[in-house]
Amino acid sequence: MTTVRAEGARQGFDWQRALKRHGWTVGAWLLLIALIAFYATLIPRFGAFQIASIAKNSMPLVFVSIAQAIIVIAGGIDLGVGALLIFSNAMAAQMMDGQSLGMSLVIAALVIVACAALNGVVGWIITVSRVPDIVVTLATLFIISGLALIILPSPGGGTSDGFRAIFTGSTTGTGTNFWPSLAVMAIPMGLAAYFMRGTRVGLSLYATGSNPMAAYLSAVNTARAKILSYAIGGGFAALAGLAALAITGSGESRFATGSNFTLRSVAAIVLGGVALTGGIGSVVGAAAAGIVLFTLSPLLSAMGVDPNTAQVIQGVLIVLVMMIAGMIHLRRERAG
Amino acid sequence: MTTDLTTSVTPDEPLSRPTWAIWLADHPLAVLSGVLVVLVVVTGIIEPRYLSVSGLRNTVLLAAPLGIMAGAQTILMLTGGIDLSVGMIATAAAYVAANQSPNGAAIAIVVGLLVGLAAGAVNGVGVGVFRVNALIMTLAMSAILIGLFTALSFTVLQGSTTVAQFIKTLGGGSFFGNRIPYNALVWAGVSVIIIYGLRRTGLGRLLYAVGDNPVAVRLAGVRIWQVHIAAYAIAGLLAALAGILLAGRTGAVDLQLAVSFLLPSVAAAVIGGTSIFGGIGTYSGTILGALILGVLATMMTFLDAGQAIQQVVYGGIVLALAWLYARVTGSS
Repeated sequence: MTTVRAEGARQGFDWQRALKRHGWTVGAWLLLIALIAFYATLIPRFGAFQIASIAKNSMPLVFVSIAQAIIVIAGGIDLGVGALLIFSNAMAAQMMDGQSLGMSLVIAALVIVACAALNGVVGWIITVSRVPDIVVTLATLFIISGLALIILPSPGGGTSDGFRAIFTGSTTGTGTNFWPSLAVMAIPMGLAAYFMRGTRVGLSLYATGSNPMAAYLSAVNTARAKILSYAIGGGFAALAGLAALAITGSGESRFATGSNFTLRSVAAIVLGGVALTGGIGSVVGAAAAGIVLFTLSPLLSAMGVDPNTAQVIQGVLIVLVMMIAGMIHLRRERAG
Repeated sequence: MTTDLTTSVTPDEPLSRPTWAIWLADHPLAVLSGVLVVLVVVTGIIEPRYLSVSGLRNTVLLAAPLGIMAGAQTILMLTGGIDLSVGMIATAAAYVAANQSPNGAAIAIVVGLLVGLAAGAVNGVGVGVFRVNALIMTLAMSAILIGLFTALSFTVLQGSTTVAQFIKTLGGGSFFGNRIPYNALVWAGVSVIIIYGLRRTGLGRLLYAVGDNPVAVRLAGVRIWQVHIAAYAIAGLLAALAGILLAGRTGAVDLQLAVSFLLPSVAAAVIGGTSIFGGIGTYSGTILGALILGVLATMMTFLDAGQAIQQVVYGGIVLALAWLYARVTGSS
């Protein structure tokens, strides 16, 4: 044990190990940069407007992906994150309509806390009932979507101009000021990344997802870790709903929107290097993959591909990436 | 240490459970049948007219396509997989069947089923050969089919919105004095084949085995990828059949035809006691699960409950039954 440590120390920074551990995360970001660079060459003028558009419109998917990543890393899977998105969207749109910026922020905080608590209860149900995550959250996908529809039966509601500006950089939701969107996206992502990798509690989520029995025997409170992962995921899903509200300026609670976001979040985290078996991957990689998935649609439309063909291409691309990843994994397995 | 272990894990723990719980654990179908009867009676109390031949006929008419689609889900869940593309495969098959309807119902049905078989087989190759996660593979297949058929509906499939009269009769008609729907007959046939196939055929046993312990099955000399391809192809076939029946019942085909059936198909299998981790479950349970969901849908219609309430009740029932299962069977 000591010799291994000494060797590691002598070498200084172990590039190989770092690449093995963070390779996929780095790859996801490189893919994103490559895609955006390619996109920039396709359109006549690539500028602040395009950056602002991508940064702002990818926000909901990024937040939902972070939510899903945290839950999956801790060994669960949440089919209800999309429902939480429309739930928070509906709740906020209903309450923020005609309010001031200050009041909107208070409501936003309340919505986030409420969704975190609600999803914490979902996590608690999973630990107590011992029903598989995927079954419980399939049920909550229906229940929470239904609640959202009760709160906001038809599209409507609203928010304050200031609140829209915080997320989108302009009071109308369209503009060239991309800094607010980037900041609103980067700060929660950074906090989540620090929490997952840099704190004891965050590492206990990794431990629980990686091997619950070993974690339990090492005195990790695995039940608490699971509930916590769901609660934090719920908070991020709520943030996604708030971002969607800020972008469109009004709320909508369609079941299809929710289930669609759930499915895309699962695709995003897998693309971002999070293993569905738990314990592997990073929030940062999932976030990059979320932006990648969003960027594909403006990119393909800039290439002159019609939206339907674009959807086919997106599906094929996801499968191809997963196939390549599967092959790499298989090779490693066979190599030893 | 050793003594601690022996005292904490009491060997006769199962005996300490009440007798009724043991009986229910041994007869999970009894629980489901009980729930089904209770739901039918409650629906009858809400709307007395429901407790008649035509009322029950309507429930079966509703449940048959769902039950067949849930059959696809059951087969895959037994292997430890899942198919999130059943809704789109069903829609795609219905579209193609509608397109081929002028050539006669037989050709329409066969071509429609082939579409399902092909899409399912591709899923199977992705999962079995390339080891893509089933969730991701079928999700991507669903996205591909949505894009493909949206594009095709503007070109090749334009105007293909209704199916042949025979398919309409098969999907929505009844016989024996308007008492038994034809689609129930199809469902019964499919059920017999699935139940017999799962119990008595080599492939059926392999589906259970692959879901239960893939490593052991591989070491026993089974080519698992072939089992996967077969399972997904059969699932695609069943989904296509459900889609064609559905098109017959609604009379019209559109891109939203069967999409809303995806999650209920998983729910029916889960309610029926099929484990999402594979290896455990029966199609008989799934049949009861589909019937329960069918009665529930009818009840909601009678109560004039909005879509929102329906979703909440729906989710609540799935959760409650799954919880009850975990409790009664004591599986941890």
